[in-house]
Amino acid sequence: MKTAGIAGGGLILSSGLLRAQKNTGGKTINLALVGIGAQGERLLDSLLKIPNLNFVAVCDIWKPRCTYGFRRVFREMKQKPEQYEDYKDVIKNHAKELDAVIIATPDLWHSPMTCDFLEAGVNVYCEKMMSDTIEGAKKMVLAARKSGKLLQIGHQRNSNPRYLYARNRLLRDVQICGKITACNGQWNRAVAKDLTWPKNQEIPSETLQKYGYKDMTQFRNWRWFKGFGGGAISDLGAHQIDIFAWFLGARPKSVMASGSRAYFKKDWAENVMCIFDYENSFQDMPVQVFYQVLTTTSGTGGYWETFMGDNGTLQISESPKLTKLYKEHNAVPSFEESDWTPLVESGVLSGNPENQDPKNTGPSPDLKQFYFPSGIPGSDKPIHMPHLENFFGAVRGENGLNCDAEHAFEAEAMVFKARESAETGQKLFFEPSDFVVEG
Amino acid sequence: MKRIAMVLMLLPPLVGLYSKTLEIEVPKANIIGTPAPIKSMNLEPKAPRPKIEVPDGVTNVALGKPVTSSDDFPLFGELSFVTDGDKVAMEGNNVELYSGPQWVQIDLGKECDIYAIAVWHFMTQERVYFGVVVELSNDPDFRENVVAVYNNDIDNSSKRGKGESLQYVEANEGKVIVVNPPQKARYVRLYSNGNHANDKNHYVEVEVYGK
Repeated sequence: MKTAGIAGGGLILSSGLLRAQKNTGGKTINLALVGIGAQGERLLDSLLKIPNLNFVAVCDIWKPRCTYGFRRVFREMKQKPEQYEDYKDVIKNHAKELDAVIIATPDLWHSPMTCDFLEAGVNVYCEKMMSDTIEGAKKMVLAARKSGKLLQIGHQRNSNPRYLYARNRLLRDVQICGKITACNGQWNRAVAKDLTWPKNQEIPSETLQKYGYKDMTQFRNWRWFKGFGGGAISDLGAHQIDIFAWFLGARPKSVMASGSRAYFKKDWAENVMCIFDYENSFQDMPVQVFYQVLTTTSGTGGYWETFMGDNGTLQISESPKLTKLYKEHNAVPSFEESDWTPLVESGVLSGNPENQDPKNTGPSPDLKQFYFPSGIPGSDKPIHMPHLENFFGAVRGENGLNCDAEHAFEAEAMVFKARESAETGQKLFFEPSDFVVEG
Repeated sequence: MKRIAMVLMLLPPLVGLYSKTLEIEVPKANIIGTPAPIKSMNLEPKAPRPKIEVPDGVTNVALGKPVTSSDDFPLFGELSFVTDGDKVAMEGNNVELYSGPQWVQIDLGKECDIYAIAVWHFMTQERVYFGVVVELSNDPDFRENVVAVYNNDIDNSSKRGKGESLQYVEANEGKVIVVNPPQKARYVRLYSNGNHANDKNHYVEVEVYGK
């Protein structure tokens, strides 16, 4: 097949939605994969489980990784994609037959690659961040509008069945938390050494320089270099900062952040703490959001987002074992659902409401703990798979995008502003125009 | 005739028999990225490495020795990585074999007395590998006089017989297998059948201690 699809999911719809689309559901999609590093490999894990994909080309400037992509596609799909070093050759040789491209390169290449593929008439799934600069992200939004093609950004939680259940069913339908007044989130990782590379597998220096890298160290550790990536708040924080805004159905009015480079002494801060103030959530309530990303310690339990209300708290994570709910002891009397027993009986929640430790009779006993029900459709899939399936469904004209460029740009605006606040030490305010690309 | 004998793993460690304590270098930990959750399994509890006493002259006889595999075209890396002496914990420092039951085989060049084997499948994430079986033989085809020195293949997924050992979590510590009593063999073959994070098979390094 070779067609455009439907875009949607953001506050502003891309022009793709306005085009009449032919539903060609299930037809084979001709695909290219550009960038087969750690993230590209994770996407490939899911891509190889999705039916009706035809890999036309794989591309990476690092030959062993390009070969890796080819071998996996060949052995698992019995297909023989062409191998390329330069994405421009993919466009030159295959744009006419390609329905879609998956881009999972370092951030600095996201914008030029995306714009070139869109201009060539190819629908794009691009990893987040959209770009290492806000200007690069704007170009991507404009390119999507101009081309009428689809641009999905890899905020994969937007298609995660458990996240959709939490946002739509728990927070909105049954208002499980009551009035949400605060949010809290973190992504903490232990200290990791700089990435190196196996013996005899260096990229030739002229190839590195062609693509903007000084040397292999910069190529392998691009996330920490200005002009290449955006550091921890960008790599990890962007996912969760997007979730807060998406779940709350709102945009923040300000951000105040602090960052530290004392440990690694890299270009970008290794640890960032920030507070976003929201004026009006979907409940017409102001909400304070605290978020931290630490890459010098993995203490206090990994990565998750919490939504904290007067009736309960929802903690959600891509890790199911970190996903749970806590019921307040002093739930708001007027709130009809203050008793969660009916929710458990009807299958909305899981867990025994009486499982509280009877020995804990002090003035602040543990909050009662509940869980998501088992069997949420699709929740057993690899975490990137539903988002990719959403993209391919849109390419076939079956559905809208869950995270188009317009929506993702809002997260970009929040991340760039938080990073600026961390660097300057100033509280910064958002204007409505910060979240929208004019033109 | 095919004969598979399981070494008695319940024998006490090799202590008091020999003069030298085997020192196996443990690479520095370097966990990278977001781990795939390890769902509840019947896992071996973490314990200190066994103290292994060996005769003088015991060294890593696998270092630099040729490696063959059931997978002639690894997805990533080279089979030579298995015995190249490089066990730094970093992304890409491993050979990745295709999914399903796969093996690597080291030719020690001659029959050796083998006292211990150390294997590192993967180091930059904590992983549980399935169907781990380690066998020794003088037959390169592993049809005759095969001795299994380790087997945690609880469901016989590697097709080498069901094992009794528990599955285990490994990263930079790897896994040290005591060969007790010591065995004579020229070939060492290691099986696995994917891991808890994906269905692929990986090796960073295998060390065979013998003389």
